Amino acid sequence: MTPSEQPREKVWDVEALLGDALRPIEPPERLSGRIEDTFTALSAAAATELSDWAEELSEAELSALRDPRNWVRPVVAVSVGGVATGALVLFELRRRGKAEASGLKGLAGGVRDLLP
Amino acid sequence: MSGPKENVEPAEMAPAAKAELDRAFETFYREHLRDVYSYAYYRVGNHHDAEDLTEQAFLQAYRHFDRARRESDGRPLRPWLIRIAHNLASNYYRDRSRRPQTSLENADPIATRHDTEDLVAGREELRQVMANLDALSDDRREALIMRFALGMDNREIARALGRSDGATKVLIHRAIKQLQEEMADDPE
Repeated sequence: MTPSEQPREKVWDVEALLGDALRPIEPPERLSGRIEDTFTALSAAAATELSDWAEELSEAELSALRDPRNWVRPVVAVSVGGVATGALVLFELRRRGKAEASGLKGLAGGVRDLLP
Repeated sequence: MSGPKENVEPAEMAPAAKAELDRAFETFYREHLRDVYSYAYYRVGNHHDAEDLTEQAFLQAYRHFDRARRESDGRPLRPWLIRIAHNLASNYYRDRSRRPQTSLENADPIATRHDTEDLVAGREELRQVMANLDALSDDRREALIMRFALGMDNREIARALGRSDGATKVLIHRAIKQLQEEMADDPE
């Protein structure tokens, strides 16, 4: 081996070696699919979140509801609603009672008509 | 007070603006997927973590893409994207106390050499250069990855590393010089 062939005396073309060693690497196909799926899911989630947000109360509305001075109206509404509901139930019971009574009266009348 | 440079997350945008942003980002993503993946792979040394890092980099880029476009004044956004990957890779090492594992798994050395002996010698040279690359300081190694794997110029590397152009030129020059010295000292 001549001295010029000794590895220690070799002149390294480091830049050429780096060019060979550090080649760009093609990403696996599954990665593209994975990233695109993630972005699709994000877009869908963002759309859902926006939709949910639109259905929710605004911060001003929530703040107003936290103020006890504004509780009167809901309490009144609940009370009125309760009374109305009670009235409706009572009315329904009375209506059914009348219907049953008239039904019994009608039945009795019909039976009476059949009797000799 | 909201200024023009304030970041507006895509989810908070008006539908038309978001659609335009998504289209621009899709193009940007397709143009730079290989860059980010290559950078990530040479930083972490395995495909699994490189995929995670690439995905995270693009997710983070998407969140700030609108602002980055406005602030770029027409300059390429690749250095900004690689900087995101760079920061993520730094966190990756900090969190897991890992060191990069450079690999020749994907380096198909020197396709123009057909002689088997030359091919083996070529692989050995590549193994040497990769081993010495691994021994460089982080900033020198990263600058060389950006230069050779991604083909970035000094200005782009400077922006990605947050350095001046001059400092980056010196960094790369010293990195190559150090590699040459290490290779010359290598007993192989």
